[in-house]
Amino acid sequence: MKFELQKGSRSRILAGLIFAIMAVFVVRLFYLQIIQNDYYKDLANKEQVKRLTIPAKRGLIYALNGDKPVQLVMNETVYTVFADPKTTSDDNKIIEVIRRIAGGNAKSNLSDLLSKKDSRYQVLATKVTRAQADMIRAEGLKGVGFQENSRRVYPEGSLAAQVLGFVDFNNVGQYGVEGELNDRLTGTDGLLQSVTDISDVPLSIGNRNINVPAVNGDNLVLSIDRNVQSYAEQALAAGLKRTGATKGSALVMDPQTGRVMAMANLPSYNPGELDKVDDVAVFNNDIISQPYEPGSVMKTMTISTGIDKGVITPQSTYVNTDYIKVDDRVIENATKGQTGTITIQHAINWSLNTGMVTVAQRLGDGTTITRGARDIMYDYYYNKFGMGQLTGIELTGEAKGEIIPPTDPEGNAVRYSNMSFGQGMDLTMIQVASAFSSIINGGNYYKPTVLAGTLDASGKYNENTPTAVRRTISKSTSDQVKEVLRVARNSSFSSVDKPGYMVGGKTGTSQVIINGQYSADESVGSYIGYGGTDAARYVIMIQVSGKNKILQGARDAMPIFTDISNWMLGYLRLQPKE
Amino acid sequence: MSYQNITQYSSRRQQNWSRNQNTVAFKSSVKLGPVAHTVLVALMITVLGLIYLTQATRATGYDYESQKIDSQIADLNTKKSDLEVENARLTALETVKNSSVAREMTTPASTAYVRE
Repeated sequence: MKFELQKGSRSRILAGLIFAIMAVFVVRLFYLQIIQNDYYKDLANKEQVKRLTIPAKRGLIYALNGDKPVQLVMNETVYTVFADPKTTSDDNKIIEVIRRIAGGNAKSNLSDLLSKKDSRYQVLATKVTRAQADMIRAEGLKGVGFQENSRRVYPEGSLAAQVLGFVDFNNVGQYGVEGELNDRLTGTDGLLQSVTDISDVPLSIGNRNINVPAVNGDNLVLSIDRNVQSYAEQALAAGLKRTGATKGSALVMDPQTGRVMAMANLPSYNPGELDKVDDVAVFNNDIISQPYEPGSVMKTMTISTGIDKGVITPQSTYVNTDYIKVDDRVIENATKGQTGTITIQHAINWSLNTGMVTVAQRLGDGTTITRGARDIMYDYYYNKFGMGQLTGIELTGEAKGEIIPPTDPEGNAVRYSNMSFGQGMDLTMIQVASAFSSIINGGNYYKPTVLAGTLDASGKYNENTPTAVRRTISKSTSDQVKEVLRVARNSSFSSVDKPGYMVGGKTGTSQVIINGQYSADESVGSYIGYGGTDAARYVIMIQVSGKNKILQGARDAMPIFTDISNWMLGYLRLQPKE
Repeated sequence: MSYQNITQYSSRRQQNWSRNQNTVAFKSSVKLGPVAHTVLVALMITVLGLIYLTQATRATGYDYESQKIDSQIADLNTKKSDLEVENARLTALETVKNSSVAREMTTPASTAYVRE
């Protein structure tokens, strides 16, 4: 059957009309779908395709409890409760519920906030815990919403605060490990690009979906032992109370690995309560950021240099006077009367400056601190012991300190004579303790570290392997100096240590420079020593100071060392020798 | 339905009778015109479209299911983290030191060591 329309018939006109209308549709669709394709595709994508950031979780920070990691810094989910005053209906009930459940976290002027009916967002309470948020949710308050946030929490309170640092409002680490290892802790945010429905639920339709998972930050395990840290802080606090010092620091290291077991500074703060901090100086970790003239603890390095270069032994003798002249300056001993022919051991026992100047002279021509002697001293102090330069410890704000080289016009004999007993140079405690560790561990310098390893997602602890950076002195020198320090300690403080252990150390009392001159009214007391049985198992360095306070190494710092040292012997379960 | 008997072309090689070879074929007398073909194709496309829509809807249903499970996982992870925080607080040194058990503890008067 052939279907034909008669020319000019109404059917034919209707067909033509329909054809024309269809043609308009086709042209319009062609315009919209082909010519305007990109424009409308973009519009549709903007409407349907959502790009969501998958936030990476900030890595946790662990300390050690013996050899097991325990949490020191964690993340907690907290909620901000907000209201849309335009849609709230029962304001009185909202106020009652928020006050009752959120308590101190609720804003004080809730009725004022809810009365702003032209506003769409008013914060009613912050830092609300999950349990509180669930209780508020259960009340079914109309116009009230919740915003999820993550915050750092510190289960151990102020423990090791200056080592940890904190996280600021932008979630960026400041000070301590948080600041120095911020990139490792932050991780990398992920990306989810997907077609979503009206409720923003991602749908799997479409071929442009992207799902890049977030890479969470590293979980760091610090070498800080929480028990040692806690005891060091406790002993330091007791020591400051006893001596009247207003500032103090205690450092405990493992000399065989360079790992820091405790790093305490007082006064301190609680990183979870930053709003209570009055003086931002407490954020600083003085052990790494506050160079000072180390005083007589430096004598350990000087005799190590002399013994290692073969110019002295602990039993070498010299004629001691209370004064010694270097160029146009006279250097005197703090302790007078130890005159006559004495040994280097005796000079260390009595902490005689003149003995150390003698060692420096013997590194030269025997009577003067020649350029050659200064070169040797600089080589040992700076290159071998790593003093006057950054140690690379994983903490923000490490200071370099300063050792003036012999090439500098100021690096003359007078300066180097002063440096031999710890003046005329600026060092941090971590530099001194790291150098000291290498001296008593057989001559291996380990980079000081607060990082023991990482904890992976499955909870497996991957321990870092400590590596010796360089040799500082020979094994023989190390053994001799260790013995010198043991004898020095026993000669002055014979009955303070637990019997049966090897404990040695050196006092230091540093004059403080005020207005360019050594002050007679202020000094810093310090003590550095080691303890163990055959091998040294720990190095402890103490420093106490206070404005306008005369503090001494032997009287004020040494008892704090003894307190921690005796406790360490028990904590490490070291068996005493007969 | 009737069938027309028609002669099929055979090659010269096959012109001889042989066993198991058809000598006739049946052709349907129903003829489909262009309109019928168009309708059939349209129907097939519609069916395919419906199948696609069914599958897509089903996949979207899985998306909602998956989203729900993801949400539950996130919720449980948050709860787990909160419990870990609580656990850490309860086992913190300060808490342990202030516990009633710790308060009852005393320092030993003497310590003996077992020789290895």
